[in-house]
Amino acid sequence: MILSVENLKVVYRGVILALDGVSLEVREGEAVALLGPNGAGKSSLVRAVAGLLPKFEGRVLDGHVRLFGQEATHLDPVRITGLGLTAVLEGRPLFRYLTPVENLVAAGHRLSSRELKEGMEEVFARFPRLYERRHEQAGYLSGGEQQMLLLGMALLTRPKVLVVDEPSLGLAPKLVEEVMRTLDALRKEKGLSLLLVEQNARAALAIVDRVYVLERGRVVFEGDAQAAQEDQDVMEFYLGKEEVGFRQAKRYRRRKRWV
Amino acid sequence: MSDLLPYLIGGLANGALYGLLALGFVLVYRATSVVNFAIGEFLLVGAYLTYTFALFLPLPLAMLAALPMAFLFGLLVERGFVRPLLGRNVVAVIMATIGLAAALDGGVQLLWGPDLKYLQGELPQLGFQLGDTFVPSRAVWNLLLALPLGLGLLWLLRKSRYGVLVRAISEREVAALALGIPTARILAGVWGISALLATLAGALLAVASGVGHNLVFFGLKVFPVAILGGLDSVGGALLAGFLLGVLEALSGRYLEPILPGFTEALPFVVVLLVLMVRPYGLLGERQIERV
Ligand SMILES: Nc1ncnc2c1ncn2[C@@H]1O[C@H](COP(=O)(O)OP(=O)(O)OP(=O)(O)O)[C@@H](O)[C@H]1O
Ligand SMILES: [Mg+2]
Repeated sequence: MILSVENLKVVYRGVILALDGVSLEVREGEAVALLGPNGAGKSSLVRAVAGLLPKFEGRVLDGHVRLFGQEATHLDPVRITGLGLTAVLEGRPLFRYLTPVENLVAAGHRLSSRELKEGMEEVFARFPRLYERRHEQAGYLSGGEQQMLLLGMALLTRPKVLVVDEPSLGLAPKLVEEVMRTLDALRKEKGLSLLLVEQNARAALAIVDRVYVLERGRVVFEGDAQAAQEDQDVMEFYLGKEEVGFRQAKRYRRRKRWV
Repeated sequence: MSDLLPYLIGGLANGALYGLLALGFVLVYRATSVVNFAIGEFLLVGAYLTYTFALFLPLPLAMLAALPMAFLFGLLVERGFVRPLLGRNVVAVIMATIGLAAALDGGVQLLWGPDLKYLQGELPQLGFQLGDTFVPSRAVWNLLLALPLGLGLLWLLRKSRYGVLVRAISEREVAALALGIPTARILAGVWGISALLATLAGALLAVASGVGHNLVFFGLKVFPVAILGGLDSVGGALLAGFLLGVLEALSGRYLEPILPGFTEALPFVVVLLVLMVRPYGLLGERQIERV
């Protein structure tokens, strides 16, 4: 098992319960989506597996995170990335005052100069638009370009599992599609496992094998991506389709549009 | 005109030290957002370290030997005082550095006694005649050490992989952590470098005026210098150091006869004037607006 989360409970500031006993698994070479509405606890799970909860005044109250069979619940982020898990946090966490080149240098901090140079060339070959703007401050790149840069940075950490938190946020539909296609291609090419956190269910389901749906800190659905797409109930209830009857689902759908 | 040159040279010599000290101060501020009110005491500790080594080493070697000790001292301060408080509110950290300053003041007096000490030995004479002006050895040494070190550090921060990491962490620590960058180790190194710069400034100052509590007052100038340069601009700190050194010298020459005591207030007056025109300081960075 590459990544397994068992009965995980997470609190912030000792009182706000964000995850209430979540279990999930990502197997070798597998792509898994984690879906759910705002505040469901998706990002909390990302922070937990990346060892970043303390930076958000949060902590694991109970349960386990295991990486490659190894206990990783309270490991620090340096060790976790060392083991091969890289998380791309929500909100485009790149260095805005640094250029794309410098962002990649920072991300490739573990590589030798030669590896770094080769890695950078690979990223620029894949994303020619980044290459054109490689010496401008990354804060001025477009949302799509920033997302590509983030993927490039993640690659330079040489991960075995990639956890990506809402890469589609704030992107136009065409760009969302492009980001998903890139993720899919990268994963297959590099043989990565992927945990993709999304609110855009349709986009995410197109490139994953299995799916978990999170709501209020609990897993409320888990299954095959194919089956989830075909299952009317799941699509309507959790992921918001056109003709929805339930008040709750409707509210969710509206919130989704705001993003 | 020819009577102006000596003042300019003296101003640059002082300015080099202001610049070094402010460089260390701003480096820490940029990387860790900690305002180190103990920077004057870093200078003091550094000067005493140099003094101690000079008791049994030739002065140039003593100055050199003090540097790794200073680096270690910076690491210790970071470990002991700063890291336990990181993430707490800003005021807590500021109070801690003020407390540290007081503790160091006391500790230094306990160890080395309250009286003014003079460094044993001398730096080789590098003074030379420039036209009809003599450039004193002290000025040559200050510039010779401060300029390459300051500019070298700037270059390192801009171009080296370590510098990129420092800048990345200073902008967004969580993002750096998520990439597995060992932020704690790198930030500790920044404190070490800051203490090292302060120590060199302290040693050069001590060569001219001895080691004693008087050095702390010199240290206080770092605040106007750093603000003048733009608190978050390392290059600005160096530049502002030289600028202030020269302005002080000019004020001593031309304004002091008319306005006795004005030179003391000058750094703060200059800061006020500059901030009115450029609220980010001389070289401060503007924020990127788009998210
Ligand atoms: N740093 C924090 N301090 C306190 N509470 C937090 C913190 N971060 C998240 N929470 C709370 O924990 C719960 C889960 O938040 P989380 O960010 O994990 O949700 P999410 O599914 O990622 O939502 P979104 O889709 O909006 O990103 C929410 O109720 C949120 O308010
Ligand atoms: Mg989130």
